[in-house]
Amino acid sequence: MKFSTKIIGTMLALFICSCSKEFLDKKNPTQLGEETFYNTEVQVNQAVIGIYSQLQDIIADQWLFQEFITDNTTVHFNEGNRGNGPNIESIEYWQYNSNTGKIYDVYRRIYNALGNINTVLSKLSETEIEASAKSRFEGEARFFRAYYYFLLSQYFGDAIIVEESIQDPSEAFEYSRSPISEIYALIENDLAFSISSLPKEISASEAGRLSKGAALTLQAKVSLTQKDYVKAKTVLEEVIDLGIYSLLPNYADIFDPNNKNHRESIFEVQFQGDNDLGESSGFIYNFYPLFSQGAVTGFSGVDGNGWNIPTLDLINSYEEGDLRKDVSLSEGYTNNEGTFVDVPFIKKFHHTHSVQGRPDDNWPVFRYADVLLMLAEAINETSGSTNESLGYLNQVRERAGLDPVSGLSQDQLKDAIRHERRIELAFENHRWFDLKRTFTPSELVTFLNAHGENERANPTTSRGQIGFSPGDYKFEAHEILFPLPERELLVNPNLKQNEGY
Amino acid sequence: MKTKKSHLKILLLLTLFTSVCSFGQKQIDGVVSSSDGTPLPGANIVEKGTTNGVTADFDGNFTINVSNDSSVLSVSYIGFSTKEVVVNDKSSLNIVLEENAAGLEEVVVVGYGTKRKRDIVSAVSVVDLKEVKDVPATDASRLLLGQAPGVIVGQTSGRPGQELNIVVRGLSSLGADSKPLYVIDGFPVGTSTGLSIDPADIESMTVLKDAASTAIYGARGSNGVILINTKQGSEGRTSVTLDVVSGLQQVPDSRREKMLNAQEFGQFQKESWIDKYILNQGREPLESEIPLRIRTPEQYMTSTDWFDEIVNDAALFKKYNLTITSGSEKTKSVISMGYLDQEGVIIKTNFERFNLRANVNTKITDEITVGLNVTGSRTNERFIDDGSRNLVVGRALWADPREPVYNPDGSFNDYIGGYGGEGDLIFGSPNPVQLLHEEKNTRHINRLLSNAFIEFEFLKDFKFKSLVNTSLIGSRENSFRPSTLAANSFNSPPPRDAVLSETYTEEVNWSTDQLLSYSKVIQEDHALDVLLGYTAQEATLRNIDGSGQKFPDDQVQFLQNAEVFSVESGESSWSLLAYFARLNYAYKDKYLVSATYRREGSSRFGSENRWGNFPSVSLGWRVSDEYFLKEIDWLNDLKLRASFGVTGNNNIGNYRSLSTLAPENYILGNSFQPGKVLNSLANPQLGWEESDQYNYGLDLTIFNNLVFTAEYYKKTTKNMLLPVNIPVISGFETTFTNIGKVQNTGLEFALGYRKQITDNLRLRGNFNISFNDNKVLEINGDNDEIRNGGFYSTNNVSQVGRPIGMLHGFRNLGVFRTEEQINSSPTQDGAIPGSFIYFDANGDGEISYDTTDWVEIGNPHPEYVWSFTLGADYKAFDFNAVLTGAENYDVYRNIESTTLNLDGVFNVDVRAKERFRSADNPGNGIVPTSNFWKWERESNSFYVHDASHMWIRSVSLGYTLPLDEGALLSNARIYINADNLYLFSDFPGGNPQVSTAGGINPGRDDSAYPVPRTITLGATLSF
Repeated sequence: MKFSTKIIGTMLALFICSCSKEFLDKKNPTQLGEETFYNTEVQVNQAVIGIYSQLQDIIADQWLFQEFITDNTTVHFNEGNRGNGPNIESIEYWQYNSNTGKIYDVYRRIYNALGNINTVLSKLSETEIEASAKSRFEGEARFFRAYYYFLLSQYFGDAIIVEESIQDPSEAFEYSRSPISEIYALIENDLAFSISSLPKEISASEAGRLSKGAALTLQAKVSLTQKDYVKAKTVLEEVIDLGIYSLLPNYADIFDPNNKNHRESIFEVQFQGDNDLGESSGFIYNFYPLFSQGAVTGFSGVDGNGWNIPTLDLINSYEEGDLRKDVSLSEGYTNNEGTFVDVPFIKKFHHTHSVQGRPDDNWPVFRYADVLLMLAEAINETSGSTNESLGYLNQVRERAGLDPVSGLSQDQLKDAIRHERRIELAFENHRWFDLKRTFTPSELVTFLNAHGENERANPTTSRGQIGFSPGDYKFEAHEILFPLPERELLVNPNLKQNEGY
Repeated sequence: MKTKKSHLKILLLLTLFTSVCSFGQKQIDGVVSSSDGTPLPGANIVEKGTTNGVTADFDGNFTINVSNDSSVLSVSYIGFSTKEVVVNDKSSLNIVLEENAAGLEEVVVVGYGTKRKRDIVSAVSVVDLKEVKDVPATDASRLLLGQAPGVIVGQTSGRPGQELNIVVRGLSSLGADSKPLYVIDGFPVGTSTGLSIDPADIESMTVLKDAASTAIYGARGSNGVILINTKQGSEGRTSVTLDVVSGLQQVPDSRREKMLNAQEFGQFQKESWIDKYILNQGREPLESEIPLRIRTPEQYMTSTDWFDEIVNDAALFKKYNLTITSGSEKTKSVISMGYLDQEGVIIKTNFERFNLRANVNTKITDEITVGLNVTGSRTNERFIDDGSRNLVVGRALWADPREPVYNPDGSFNDYIGGYGGEGDLIFGSPNPVQLLHEEKNTRHINRLLSNAFIEFEFLKDFKFKSLVNTSLIGSRENSFRPSTLAANSFNSPPPRDAVLSETYTEEVNWSTDQLLSYSKVIQEDHALDVLLGYTAQEATLRNIDGSGQKFPDDQVQFLQNAEVFSVESGESSWSLLAYFARLNYAYKDKYLVSATYRREGSSRFGSENRWGNFPSVSLGWRVSDEYFLKEIDWLNDLKLRASFGVTGNNNIGNYRSLSTLAPENYILGNSFQPGKVLNSLANPQLGWEESDQYNYGLDLTIFNNLVFTAEYYKKTTKNMLLPVNIPVISGFETTFTNIGKVQNTGLEFALGYRKQITDNLRLRGNFNISFNDNKVLEINGDNDEIRNGGFYSTNNVSQVGRPIGMLHGFRNLGVFRTEEQINSSPTQDGAIPGSFIYFDANGDGEISYDTTDWVEIGNPHPEYVWSFTLGADYKAFDFNAVLTGAENYDVYRNIESTTLNLDGVFNVDVRAKERFRSADNPGNGIVPTSNFWKWERESNSFYVHDASHMWIRSVSLGYTLPLDEGALLSNARIYINADNLYLFSDFPGGNPQVSTAGGINPGRDDSAYPVPRTITLGATLSF
């Protein structure tokens, strides 16, 4: 009896006491937690790298809202598979509404990135790392914040401004949309800091990081959108005066993956293909035609998704002898049976890569040709068609192997710049903002409906036996802004939908 | 709806069978024994209607003088049903008594202990393993089918080795899993037994349903607990039992979806083309204008029924078990060995298990007992994934029937369909038969499960038991898809890059319990039982996953041969600690009280909310022992009971309360840079999901052979851990919060009947029926809802005031016949004659192409489920049948958005013949036109079907061989069993219990693995 009592005592003591509080403390061994991060320069740098990384996802879908929606590109019509009708195709046909999934995706991704930026900025203010590094990190984070708010204002108009890290989810219900003027003020404030803190030149080992030139170019774009041509001109001239950017002699070199971050490039999203690092760029697979069975992709049996197909209208608007046409697009391809298939596709970002699905192409955000054309636009808007404004336009034309233009009226030059931007920057996600900026809303409605009529009458790709819905390609003024996602209105009933939706 | 009545009729008929009943001075000699042959000394033998009576002696023998041949003897014995025997002309009688139907003296396994059945005051169902001994069960879950009211057992798929889906008293959570906890020999192993237990090793199974019985399992108790105890040896002769089962499985023809054959499909393609031509050109095409490919459907002389090609009509089922039990006064043991080999009804799939078990316990001294249960198993499986049209079962429905399986040279026809030509757009697909032959998905799992204990008895009434349980699982999953197969995406002919993936996992799960118990009867009237306990458990899962692409050949299937490969590894663990206590008190066996309390801490919850309290109390009143009812002869037992308890649910995964930084990397300077992004917020407040459950019950036994149980329960689950939608401007879409309320209320009735009709005939029957009413009471504010599904697929929506996961979509009002009808209806942009007419729910005159006009179109929860078991023994024959049914619920057949997609890109269901073609040829008014895709494929009520059904689940017939005394065999029985014998249902799919998504997304049918009918022959031989 005594023996067993002793054993019981020992076992009780053994089992109950050995389990202390730590027994219930389980940390995820595969991931770091917030509380132990953001302390050293290495860690903050990783957090900033995270901010850069989020742009990769946003850029991957940006063609939908800035190129595909315009007269530049359309769908490779898939008679057999109608599954993407209400989502992706609705953007092409201007049939989007508050339930369009892709619109929610972009809204979500941008605010997700902004949330991360605000967290990093707030953590950054508490860390004690070296001042110059800290200032550069802050400049980078604030550039991204400015860029995203610019996108939001262009897509949705008035937007909710969040400038701090939201820790308690209930606070998120307190925010309402701010007028666009306040968004511009925020952008200006952030960019002023970025312009002053970002380095002028980026060393080769850091190629891809933001520079002062990138912040200036974004500021110019915002000013131009605000129709503050004087400021736009000043800022653009500052970019030129940095003296580090110039046009590459050969247009094709701009997009060549072997020639990344060249002197024409002001800011491009970095990718790396042909390896297992998960940083390859996939966008060209969205743009390859359907059913090509490897004839375009170079990988046996592999098709593209058939989105963002150049329209016949764009193809026909290239001038005779324009060297950019063959670099930018192809009017069709020869299939495996040796027959020519007249489905056009984007060639600009089509480069040989050795691993299927893992191209090496970077995505150009800002480049010097854009700066020159913006400057031409700013000067034309203030002083009209002058040697100066024509000069900047003609620099770009000259590289394309085209004759310079001259003797244009202010309006004619405006059209010419718009046309030049369409061709020079085709498929680089500039077209939608250019159209919105350089047309009045009613001009834009007229312009797009004319294009829609044209595409309905003469579709770029065959539709088989399937007709259009009556509402396809009918553009209404309210569609200049996207609707706020239904999901957001449901979650926060205080939010007001854009008019017309 | 029509089926509902017919099922009840059949049931009534069957009930009739059970109610077929029967009815000098003379010396009678006899013997009274139980059905297993044990004599019953002290049994009472009374001549009915007289005071004449005797008792049986030590060997069960008796002698009685009766008045005449028509005298009736009434024979009774405690714990057994009283039996009446007509004397007739016999002078000696051999009377066999049945154990009492209510089994009130039976000992039932409950949480951390056992209890006499008569003392139980909470909702507990004991599975009658005798009723299910002949079913070809591969694991414990099958044994529950139809056996316990309130326990819904769904055979959602027929995949070999698939566990059945168990829900106790309704879906109770929106955020966590609603699966019950399995406890094997006292070890809480989780929400699955993982097929680690051979059903032949199971001694008892108990389902704990209400909170009073499960609260002692604390944060794992809210979905019910299933207790499984394995066989233990007993003192006596060594016995050797061999079970041999073998049989065949097949998919009954009536449960297959019928698709068009080659000529019919050729005709369909031609007509579809013509109809589109007329729509676009306004005239009939000339025969010469019809594309050559589809002009002459008559050319297709042979046709492939792909589904027929992938099923095995004679899939083998084999199962063997050898059990050896022995026991001395000190040491008792069971050794068992089992082997299971099951071919799938889809070719090239199978499941195999080897298992071994040794259960040993020994008394070291009079006070100390030690024991060890250990079981090891190995399972080998070749499986397929199912549940989508892109997987092989789905493909076998829609693949082009005009293509042969094999080329003339005998090789596989490696690309089916995908011509891409005008008029014939059918999607290209891999050959389903080739896919099954050449794509290999295998899973191999080694399991070791053990329990060790030491028990001391001391100070007369005290016991201390210490247990250590461990479960070690190692698994390897391997899948290889060779280059010869077309890709799973449409129109992607071979060759493709070969793909390999390999996953290794290791799981270590251990727990220890320290249990101190005290049991005493004080002054005869006060029975006291006290238990104090402490438990700790920890589980860790580690894995390594590798995948490779592009192999130089399809022969050497290892990662390093791949041109591109990647490897990842991971680890995840959880732990819990708990203290608990139980007090049982009974006064004169009449007033019963039981109370439990558990305090539990879990690593899964926030640092500020780590500990939870789970109390329960239950009361019972044995009314039949009160003086005012005691005199009633036919009333054997009547007990009223009430209970309340609080339980929790921790099935939420690990690390939910912690913030995480996810890797988000980038390239700078053309080199890789690791980056980090915050992807969730920390929530140190995160706590328990809690259920409060009230239960009221009644147990009644009358006439010694009729047992009735009724239960009413109300279970309210609150503080569910839900991802609540927050404005994305916060940077996140959702945040996990303890929020929301779900209520389940229900009624359960069970009726059991046992009767010895004549010496040779015994009958038994059980009927149970359960009603459950599920309702979401709160989510997050009035407008919030949880929505799962796409615009073109099943949508389960949980809204306040409605049951979980209701089916939503457009309400289908039929098919437009004419332009005039379209013009006079609410606007549907692009609708043409033959399009579906949808209901304008918001009445704005327009059906907008989004979810605005969606309404509830189906309820996936049965109004009630029932089961009926009928058994009879006649001489050496025994018969048993189990029927199950469920009424008034809906299933959304998502696969029909493919098999009734009339674009001509898929083969179609035979119902497509009834489609709309023109105003003059409008079809059946249900199936739309093939002319246009819009207003056809959206989530709508066209795809919703009533799944009410009655299923003859199993029927078995056995014969016990007459054996000579002293023969080598001590017992021998042979039997035949039919499992899933016949289904009565109007549901057009193969399985009305299908649930391809599960959880809070019930009622989805998307080409699941078909459920077979299995006919087995078996023999049980004891030596």
